[in-house]
Amino acid sequence: MNTFDAVVIGAGVLGAATAFELARTGMSVLVLERGAPNREGSGTTAGNLHIQAVHTRRPGQEVPLDSEGLLPAQKAADTLWAEAEHRLEADLEVRRNGGFMVAETPEQREELYTKHVWEQRAGLNTELLDGDTARAALPLLGPTVTAATWCPHDGYANPLKAAPAYLAAANRLGTRIKAFTPVTGLERRGSGWRVYTPDGHHDAPVVINTAGPWISEVCALAGVDLRMAPVAIQMHVTARERPVLHHLVQHIGEGLSVKQVTAGNLLVGGGWPALGMNLQGRSTASVESLAGNMAQATRVLPFLAGLRLLRMWAGPLAATPDEMPVIGPVPGQAGLYVAGGTYAFTFAPLWGETLSRMVRGEPTRIDVSSFAPDRLTATCGSTDRTTSAHTEKGTAPC
Amino acid sequence: MTTKTGPPTVHTAQAAVVGAGPAGLAAALELARGGLDVLLLDEQPEPGGQYYRRPGPEVLRTAGDHRPEGANLISRVRESGVRLLTGHTVWGVDDDRRTLLAVDPDGTPVQVRADWIVAATGAYERSVPFPGWQLPGVVTPGLAQHMSAEGVRLGRRTVVAGSGPFLLPVACALLERGVRVVAVAEAGRPYAPGVAALGALRFPSRLVELASYFARLTRHGVRVHQDTVVAEAHGGDHVESATLVRFSDPGRVVARHEVDVLCVGYGFRPQSDLPQLFGCSMERDPVTGDTVPRLTPVGRSSVPHVYVVGEAAGVAGAPTAVARGRAAALDILAGCGRVPDHRTRRAAAVRMASLTRFTRLTSALYPSPADLVTALTRELPGHTLVCRCECVTADTLREAASAPGGSDVPAIKGDTRAGMGLCQARECGPALEALRTGGAGTGTVPARVPLRPLPVTAVLGFSDSSREDS
Repeated sequence: MNTFDAVVIGAGVLGAATAFELARTGMSVLVLERGAPNREGSGTTAGNLHIQAVHTRRPGQEVPLDSEGLLPAQKAADTLWAEAEHRLEADLEVRRNGGFMVAETPEQREELYTKHVWEQRAGLNTELLDGDTARAALPLLGPTVTAATWCPHDGYANPLKAAPAYLAAANRLGTRIKAFTPVTGLERRGSGWRVYTPDGHHDAPVVINTAGPWISEVCALAGVDLRMAPVAIQMHVTARERPVLHHLVQHIGEGLSVKQVTAGNLLVGGGWPALGMNLQGRSTASVESLAGNMAQATRVLPFLAGLRLLRMWAGPLAATPDEMPVIGPVPGQAGLYVAGGTYAFTFAPLWGETLSRMVRGEPTRIDVSSFAPDRLTATCGSTDRTTSAHTEKGTAPC
Repeated sequence: MTTKTGPPTVHTAQAAVVGAGPAGLAAALELARGGLDVLLLDEQPEPGGQYYRRPGPEVLRTAGDHRPEGANLISRVRESGVRLLTGHTVWGVDDDRRTLLAVDPDGTPVQVRADWIVAATGAYERSVPFPGWQLPGVVTPGLAQHMSAEGVRLGRRTVVAGSGPFLLPVACALLERGVRVVAVAEAGRPYAPGVAALGALRFPSRLVELASYFARLTRHGVRVHQDTVVAEAHGGDHVESATLVRFSDPGRVVARHEVDVLCVGYGFRPQSDLPQLFGCSMERDPVTGDTVPRLTPVGRSSVPHVYVVGEAAGVAGAPTAVARGRAAALDILAGCGRVPDHRTRRAAAVRMASLTRFTRLTSALYPSPADLVTALTRELPGHTLVCRCECVTADTLREAASAPGGSDVPAIKGDTRAGMGLCQARECGPALEALRTGGAGTGTVPARVPLRPLPVTAVLGFSDSSREDS
């Protein structure tokens, strides 16, 4: 069969969630993946569920993101993660045990207060704590922490399980998944699209580009210049420990996220840049980022200094120039949709549902017009490509 | 608890040799003789590696030194001016892709900068999972030999199984400690007279060695089964018995022996993670299935200042390791304008060529590790724990390998957590690779950083402040 209702490009968590949501409505779906499913950004990410407002800058990031503008999407994502395991009939190790966002300096405390106001305005339940109260709530916090916000909704899902579970559920609904099948061409055919691969071509009225780091490359095949840039960030994990840390711990002013995963390992990340981006193989993690990330992690959570580091790795993601997500139809290219950018793991269930509703012309759960791709697109040749200006930028862990 | 660590200790040298086994010792000695300033690092408290591991004082007094040439080499290295850093674990390579990162015995971070790097990191034992291999009492031949050399009697009754020439001396070492060796099971048929075996006639000293092992085994009534492998270890909280089957016909039971120690191993595989971190170009050895660096005959990798010698360059035994260490050192000396005399280089080349012939003949006697691992892994019952660290069964791995749309080794790891535990796939890696029956994508377990689990404090010294000073 060569004709589908929709072709999804990229079998990361966004592509997988989108395929599942489309298949649930009875559509025939084909997922094309250049490598193994869930092996790039989605399989290498930290798996944080960021529900409280996020810090605005991480190491090397040029532009602060609009943290307040993300809150409605975070609230909606929280609702959807709460039901994800039930809908997928799978264990994703979803844990919504809450999380702390800590501050150390007076400037960081100010940021925390501002952020708390945004959260109240958005109707998100967070609590502002001074340093001692935060340490009373989480005695593992170090003496440099002077304030924190607590959000009972923050959490974790196992990124090694989320996309595979979505793909398996989509597969049960008839979705076809072709791994190791890169898309080599995208051509308009009548009112639809012809998608070329080395194994032949497929036709569909709808094409959804969730190719992560390759999102711009795939858009370029359709003659669309999408100003996004691949960036590699890195993660660090300790050997297994008995359960000690039940919450997500983040930093308002610096790239830092720490949690203990179900298997018992402590995962330390925060969007520190990897040594280099390698889109053909695995990017290399940087020792300088390792040292920097671990130095702040052990300052905020001193017990980490007594543990053993087991492994570090790098993974890619796609950054937008304004550090905000992108989702929606590509202007002037009927039937072509994109989704990606900031905090894609947290937003995966929401963006999957949103794309599915957009494709069917139904109203979306939240207003996503400010994330529309038109702010990033131009037809090839009409404007200068500016993506290279952003490649040095560190960006959010999804 | 303090999270402060001091700044890293920085060592510089003209050449840094990682690993003080036969190859590393030989390379360091030759480099120092050539006039270079040499650092030799090893994670163990004493030099010698596995092969020239020094016995404890008690054993030395009662049993003597079974490998005096090792003590001799070590003392020559000590006298040559080589700076020996034992207890130093090299765990990575810095972002400049030149500086070695290590941790000293006190946990202080260490940086080593050298113009030339010689990786002599040795080998891992090659394990292949089987049902029950997680039971206490199941050990590898390397451990059995090491403990026996230290005077430890590992148990009362044992079977020594696997493949390769190493099984015979291990069985003899166990006998010497008073362990009853019920049987030796060899997967291949190396000891049947045949065309391949005749080649060994060109190396009479090896034939004598082999004959002496057999004489000792016969004297103790040890049965040597060929074409035989361990199908399963049985027991509750300790191994109690082992079932041996025909390798060529796994349905046929050869014997079932009661044991309290079961010693199983399929030889060795190169420990080639460090060259990978330097960015050396790697390839799959079709005979062994191992990922090895692409090297010139003298051990130079695709990264010109990085040499790989000894078992890390491909398993070939201690004499070859020594010859490789010397050959690499002579090439480095030539490369920095200290041309060793022609006869020395020629003698080294002749020795290497002779040893290479011997290695080829020996490996032709035993089944190819790649075929062995593939065949044994294919037969594994579904409930077999393949990854012991993370408790992942063969069934789970086979399911992950046949995921809709296809899979590769990193994806199988991600799906199942196999290879993500403390040993980082050092034990189950070959089996993980073999359980995937082909297809596109990555077929190997890549090198990880850190190379060994590392105290978090050992990386803190590398953060900003210390970096700016350097």
